[in-house]
Amino acid sequence: MKNADGTRARGHRPNGTVPALTRRSLIRSGFASLLAAPWASSLGASMVPVAGVSAARGRNASRPPQDDEIVLGVSAAFSGPSRGLGTELYRGSMAYFNQLNENGGVNGRRIVMKLLDDGYQPDPCVANTIELMQDENVFLLFNYVGTPTVTRALPVLKTFRDQQVFLFFPFTGAEPQREPPYGEFAFNLRASYRQETAGLVDNFVRIGRRRIAVFYQNDAYGRSGWAGVREALARHGETIAGEATYTRGTQFTASMRGQVEILLERSPDAVICIGAYAACGAFARDAVDLGLHIPVANASFVGSENMLQLLQEGRSDPNSHTRWLVNSQVVPSYEDTSLPAVREYREMMAVHDPPPPDNVARITEGEPYETFPQSFVSLEGFVNAKLITEIIRRMGDDPQRSGIEEAVFAVRNYDLGVGERVSFGPERRQGLQRVYYTVVEGDRFVPLEDWEAKFS
Amino acid sequence: MSRMRVHKLFRKTRFFFFALFGLIVISVSVLSITTVSRELSDEYESNSRSIAQNIADSSVDILLNRNLATLQSLIDQFVQIESIRYIYITSETGEFLAHTFVPGIPDEILASDASSTATVERSLPGLGDFIEVGAPILSGVAGTVHVGMDLELLGLKIQRAIGAQMALFGIIFVIGSLLTFWFVNLASQPLADLLAFAVRMAGGESSTGDEPVLSRDDEAGELARLFVHVNRRAAGADREP
Repeated sequence: MKNADGTRARGHRPNGTVPALTRRSLIRSGFASLLAAPWASSLGASMVPVAGVSAARGRNASRPPQDDEIVLGVSAAFSGPSRGLGTELYRGSMAYFNQLNENGGVNGRRIVMKLLDDGYQPDPCVANTIELMQDENVFLLFNYVGTPTVTRALPVLKTFRDQQVFLFFPFTGAEPQREPPYGEFAFNLRASYRQETAGLVDNFVRIGRRRIAVFYQNDAYGRSGWAGVREALARHGETIAGEATYTRGTQFTASMRGQVEILLERSPDAVICIGAYAACGAFARDAVDLGLHIPVANASFVGSENMLQLLQEGRSDPNSHTRWLVNSQVVPSYEDTSLPAVREYREMMAVHDPPPPDNVARITEGEPYETFPQSFVSLEGFVNAKLITEIIRRMGDDPQRSGIEEAVFAVRNYDLGVGERVSFGPERRQGLQRVYYTVVEGDRFVPLEDWEAKFS
Repeated sequence: MSRMRVHKLFRKTRFFFFALFGLIVISVSVLSITTVSRELSDEYESNSRSIAQNIADSSVDILLNRNLATLQSLIDQFVQIESIRYIYITSETGEFLAHTFVPGIPDEILASDASSTATVERSLPGLGDFIEVGAPILSGVAGTVHVGMDLELLGLKIQRAIGAQMALFGIIFVIGSLLTFWFVNLASQPLADLLAFAVRMAGGESSTGDEPVLSRDDEAGELARLFVHVNRRAAGADREP
């Protein structure tokens, strides 16, 4: 993958050891059976002091929080087919926290992320959440990745509600963390899948593409997007024209012919994909190869740059499989330097260029992760970090968990620098509402200006 | 003294023993196969029906809240149970609200009566054979849960259970047969000794008086001593003018 300036992005190789996930917490929490699961051996943990990447490498993860630190607990996909999402989200946040900590932190405290890998699988995410809350005593949970994982972690927050640990800014637009009975335990920054899919449907209907099919990951995430498409179509008097599914964890090398053939039989005008980049990339590839030449839309979770890399890498015509792509985003384009937050993001990413956390490289030994100089996912991680820092700043010199909710609700019309002001309140637990649409131009996603001209 | 074997006398005994033992083994096996098969099938179906009902009971609030992601998460957890191969939930109008099919919902299921809770057998191309049970959500006014169980897995479990029993019967049969041979041979040994002794007498040999069979205190010993007595009387009669 080429950088924005035309150079190749760097890959990061394993460096340093990372201690394994402790079994003590799992056994104590009645999750001993989980230890027998295949994923257990692949779990890694690392405490990452964000002031300097080099200091983080090889450092022992299990150490108690220091007085001059605020520890954010993160369980995300740092391994498996969706590792790009957890990694880029982390890198965006790291760029901001590194800069912050170099300048003295927030109210004299450094912000530290305690990372655990869940591989985008629900059971490890549950175990990680328990460990972060019980053993690591984190201040709050941050930057979780995925609906199936977050959906299963939410009951843990409710179980330990007396600890007042909140989940901040998960990388999912699903409804469970926005609605009762678990909505009160989470704060969201990004727009919801309901908003993303509604926007996609509305735009397709507007240009006369009313027969809309859905290709989705067959789990809570996919169902959330499916439900969003269904609701949006119902407002236009339409129903889902056809649907096909895939199993979570499917690789780009997998064939999606069966799914494409199912949808070809339904003759849709457009397909909305609710999935991760590997599977959605495979679907986009096979759709073009089998003659399904209609717009293929992807929700923001897909990880646009990761998908584009898979679709273009090693092809004589890099755009042969990207002509019909349209991806919705929940942050503005990282090319839009008219926005202060984008300028900050580009500057800090260039200065710090955070490497993937150690455990990513360890788990995917032999397959170093190739980072992106900029991406929508890392920009989202950046604005997540910026806002959580502002919330912690408002809590003063001695921040306590009991004061978190009040500090969040005090955020009113706050300018994050993304062109949209952020407000929270008891009935408003989602900061941003805007959805952006992008298409491929060359080797990047750019804003889609005219749907009609592009797809009519 | 050469040893002789008694074959003919116990032939029928052995035959009846094996026939009886075989009859027992076959009848017990047939009974066992039908019992195991029926009970495993019943248990399988009963468990699946409980799971379907459990999902149906848990789904009411989720459906009323239109929280389909949580509903999907719920059925994803249940489908991890080994015997459950698919689950789907339909609305009261028959719309598919959540399911576990990949790459899509089979046409056979799309064409079926979504509100039916009857137990049906399905053969789905590319997927296999299944028993499907249903459970109504809120007496059916909120929808229906359908759970499909893998018939091949059930068959495999029945085969395993029966196979274990048949192996046990086989071992018992082999050990029983060996013990029967040993016991029959043991029981017929005095008779064989007596036969050998009688053959010798008939061949003109005279008893030395210290043959083992003569010292036995059972019927074989008495008959041997009788043979000696008769033999001596016959020899005395021959010497009279």
